[in-house]
Amino acid sequence: MDHFKRPLKTDIEEILSRFQDTASVRFEEFLTIWRGMNFPIIFNGKLEPYEKSTFSRLVFTTAAPYFFPPYTFQIRVGGLYLLYGLYHSQLATPKEKIWLALSDWEHVKRFQQDAADAQHYDVVYVLRKLLAEKAFYFTAMPKPLYFRVRRKQEESEQKMCEEFIDRPSRPQELISAEMLEELANVHEHYERLKMGISAASGQSSSDLALIRQNLAPRLRNAMLSFHSWQKNHMENENCNTAVERSTSERNSKVEESSRRAQLLASIKSKSYGQLVEASKSRRHRQAEMVTATSDAESTHRTSGFKRRALSLKERTKTRLMAQGNVKEEVLKMTRLWRLSAVEDERTEEKKKRKFAWKVESEA
Amino acid sequence: MAESGGAEALENVPVYEYIDVNSKPFHIGSFRKLWLDALKPDYYSYTETPQEIQDIEFIEEMRIDEETLDELKTICSVERLRCHSENNPPDTDEIPAEPKLATLKLRKRRQDYKKTLLRDHVGRHDAYANEMEVLAVGRKPKDPQDLVPEGELILTFNVLYPVIFERFKYVRPHQTHHVLGSQKLTDLRDAICCVNDLQVFGEFSETPNMVPQFISKDHYKSAFFFFEGTFFNDMRFPECRDISETTREWAKTYDFPEFHTARMEDTVFYDLKVKVGYPYLYCHQGDCEHIVILTDVRLAHRDDCLDSKHYPLLTHKHRVVTRKCSVCHLYISRWVTTNDALAPMNPCLFCDQCFRMFHYDKDGNKLGDFKAYSYVDPGAFN
Ligand SMILES: [Zn+2]
Ligand SMILES: [Zn+2]
Repeated sequence: MDHFKRPLKTDIEEILSRFQDTASVRFEEFLTIWRGMNFPIIFNGKLEPYEKSTFSRLVFTTAAPYFFPPYTFQIRVGGLYLLYGLYHSQLATPKEKIWLALSDWEHVKRFQQDAADAQHYDVVYVLRKLLAEKAFYFTAMPKPLYFRVRRKQEESEQKMCEEFIDRPSRPQELISAEMLEELANVHEHYERLKMGISAASGQSSSDLALIRQNLAPRLRNAMLSFHSWQKNHMENENCNTAVERSTSERNSKVEESSRRAQLLASIKSKSYGQLVEASKSRRHRQAEMVTATSDAESTHRTSGFKRRALSLKERTKTRLMAQGNVKEEVLKMTRLWRLSAVEDERTEEKKKRKFAWKVESEA
Repeated sequence: MAESGGAEALENVPVYEYIDVNSKPFHIGSFRKLWLDALKPDYYSYTETPQEIQDIEFIEEMRIDEETLDELKTICSVERLRCHSENNPPDTDEIPAEPKLATLKLRKRRQDYKKTLLRDHVGRHDAYANEMEVLAVGRKPKDPQDLVPEGELILTFNVLYPVIFERFKYVRPHQTHHVLGSQKLTDLRDAICCVNDLQVFGEFSETPNMVPQFISKDHYKSAFFFFEGTFFNDMRFPECRDISETTREWAKTYDFPEFHTARMEDTVFYDLKVKVGYPYLYCHQGDCEHIVILTDVRLAHRDDCLDSKHYPLLTHKHRVVTRKCSVCHLYISRWVTTNDALAPMNPCLFCDQCFRMFHYDKDGNKLGDFKAYSYVDPGAFN
């Protein structure tokens, strides 16, 4: 069943990315996409009852993370709607539950508060409905853990969808206009005190030049250059995406953007006029990805060369055969706990054509 | 949550030690309390809050009017999630010919491949893997006294079989037990079934009819669990010994941090401080060692088995392929012989009937020189 993790992630990110393009948090919008993609049939197929349960569980462990940070508020809303849709469309009986870890509960509470404050009633309603229907398991960890230590983590499994994460705006938040003003005042006050001291003692004021002059303006300039770098960087990416999706389509939808997003935007624009509608569909982050892809390429190449080493059993066997101590038929016959062979058993062992879980084009 | 309990509380909010592998250690009882403090009781109650009350709460909290709520109910209704008309439910076994979703593409490819196989190899073991779990769903007790209380914890333990068989090298056969937080460690110990508890020791080739009924479980009652530096010894019976002593003494001479001991029968799961997903140990019969992994801890849900009498609840058991008699290939082996001139290999397995026919004459006299031991098949628990 683990083989389905990758395609599932692809499908989930597809629906969330379409939802992101609407720049809305309305359930109505989500529903249009959900139906357009005919998402409930993701559960279809000839499955044994136990397979239905395991598949449901896999669906929830794959979808649930989008409901939590570090994803943006809008993606988290999409994640919630998606869980709601999946919970009610699953074919397992009894319905499998969504795992909710204690450490994530704080996030859920804050999320609900944020949604309520911004009057996104549909968001709160859906969350409350899931809780009332007992759709959650209140657990220790987000999924059961079996101490499966894998030597190589599947990269694609771990990778977070960057388009869904807020552009870092910590520097802007930290260095607000008010903060700069305050800093300038303190600095001025400090300079004045220093002047007073040096005037009284007759020493030259340069002895006390322990701090940079023009602290506040320098900080402001640094901030501005960071901001313009970020902006340029983003515009570059937008150019790359333009082929795929037209920007005009996106801009027209910005107007419908959620109230919270607008609220946040207005707060941020107060100081530096950051573009909030940015980072929508940055499919190809080429500028940044150069190093990453070349890495991937090189590992790919080496893995192509490297043949898997034979197991100890295989090596021993080939050695024994080479020495001529053992005849091949003897090895085939080994059925230690049997005196005689059951008839027509041999035929069963014909090599089966193995199923290729990954197709070349997907890999 | 963080405000009320401070640092100690934070310590008991489980977090990863290694991502996707195991958590840091936390105190089970405190963890439960944190959940109960954080949640409204109706979130984990077995009953659903009446719709009218839910509605009133929502209207008051959101400060909206009834019409808005009605509108929300219509917009967000479950029915609207359906992508087909009500009277025309599609066959959920069907996958469209050209599916758009990546998941369905893979599943379709897989199903088409399966059709090409001459014989569809359905893993019977897998098919019944969660049969026991399904049986227990939502089971209510006859006596209301036995109801698992709301807010009780359910812990899931995977108990692995000792690696003694060649064919177990690639899979991790295990049994899964659900226990309640208020239960004692000895409850879990008594629920773990291991074939080594059923062994009978001794050589019986002279007297095949005199195999005693005593099994190892009755002879050697000592056992321990090892969690986070503490040996929990089973000391319920006078003949029980602290079999962890040797290990602890040995550890002292090798500069290990000191290990502690506690009584298994005096410890409930709430008392434990453990990691989720981390391998611990259960040891019995002196040296039969099982890896024990706590895979999950959560609040009881109304769909769980709610009859506390059924806990520890066995929900999964690996079905072992039984070893058949080497003569008839039909019956499960009961005897194992060594130095047996009549047998093709050493040791060799026989069912009861073949063993007697082969090794004794009509009057029950032993033929030839060999040793015979009682054999308990690992599949005996299937
Ligand atoms: Zn054992
Ligand atoms: Zn037989």
